[in-house]
Amino acid sequence: MFRYSATKRIISNLEREPVVSNLGPTSDELWHASDRDRNFYTYGSMGLCSSIALGMALSCDEKVISLDGDGSILMNLGTIATIGREAPANLIVIVWDNEQWAQTGHQKSHTAFGTDLEMVARSSGIEKSFTVADEEELDSILLQALNEDGPWFIVAKIEDEPYLPVAPVEPEHTLHRFRQTFVDHPDRVG
Amino acid sequence: MTWAQTIVDALKEHEISLIAYVPDSSIHQVTKIVDKDEYFHLVSATREEEALGIAAGAYATGRNAAVFMQSSGFGNSINAVAGLAIPSRIPIPIFINLRGEHGEFNIAQVTMGRSTRPILDVLGIPHYTLDSEERLGEKVKGALKLCYASREPLALCMTPLLHGGKNV
Repeated sequence: MFRYSATKRIISNLEREPVVSNLGPTSDELWHASDRDRNFYTYGSMGLCSSIALGMALSCDEKVISLDGDGSILMNLGTIATIGREAPANLIVIVWDNEQWAQTGHQKSHTAFGTDLEMVARSSGIEKSFTVADEEELDSILLQALNEDGPWFIVAKIEDEPYLPVAPVEPEHTLHRFRQTFVDHPDRVG
Repeated sequence: MTWAQTIVDALKEHEISLIAYVPDSSIHQVTKIVDKDEYFHLVSATREEEALGIAAGAYATGRNAAVFMQSSGFGNSINAVAGLAIPSRIPIPIFINLRGEHGEFNIAQVTMGRSTRPILDVLGIPHYTLDSEERLGEKVKGALKLCYASREPLALCMTPLLHGGKNV
């Protein structure tokens, strides 16, 4: 499975659901797939993608999708335990797992040596945890996840592909545009 | 009214209804009130940077959120402040129990406690020290108002002179 193609497919299944994307190529590909006002691209704070999505899921009624990565969530495995403890029914975590830190030189990650993120999630109390290897499987589980209570934790195994151009996005704008879709009135100034 | 209740009232006045934290014996005086009050959702994080991520997500969806941590945990979370809250302009009130102050008994807490406010200065984060109950409500409410007006993280550093500290 290739991430960009799968990302486009995910977006085609969504309406207004908020999506948080991991820093780097995952955010770039989300932008190229569709630059929605409900996309929350991250830029730094590696490891926090699904923690941000958890905070959103605890604060809104809509399904929230986190597009995380194996290297990133390995930095913050504790957040899987927190998701299990809080058990928000509206959270869907998708971990793009290429078993490497691709951007820094394709160093193998711990998932290449047996760390099973699905089992980490399952043992943290997230019963609806799955590993998928192709787009059809991902599509089918995502459709189920969008319609049934979670939390959901989906490890999507992906292969290497060329990077797309860096998305021309800016953190302050991302936050403001995203937040304005949730608040009744614009931020007061003065 | 206790210092902890004064802080809880200030949180409510600013519609801060999600609190993400890592347990601390002094902060417990606040979080035990928060935990019993249905107005709040208290989220126990495994690490302080995670608490900041959760608070950032809450704010992005229109809910005000604060974090509570010990100064040692602030050390764990600097990049979440520098790489998320500051560039995205997310106002997160960060309540920090300053260890390494009067009465500290643990040498391992001294350096990070002493470094916390200088690090906040270098990050450009406004911070206020809460070391007595005098005008406490005014100080906390004013700081929270500034935090949301500036749309920047802001720190409130609580010392043992406020909360009594930890003795063992």
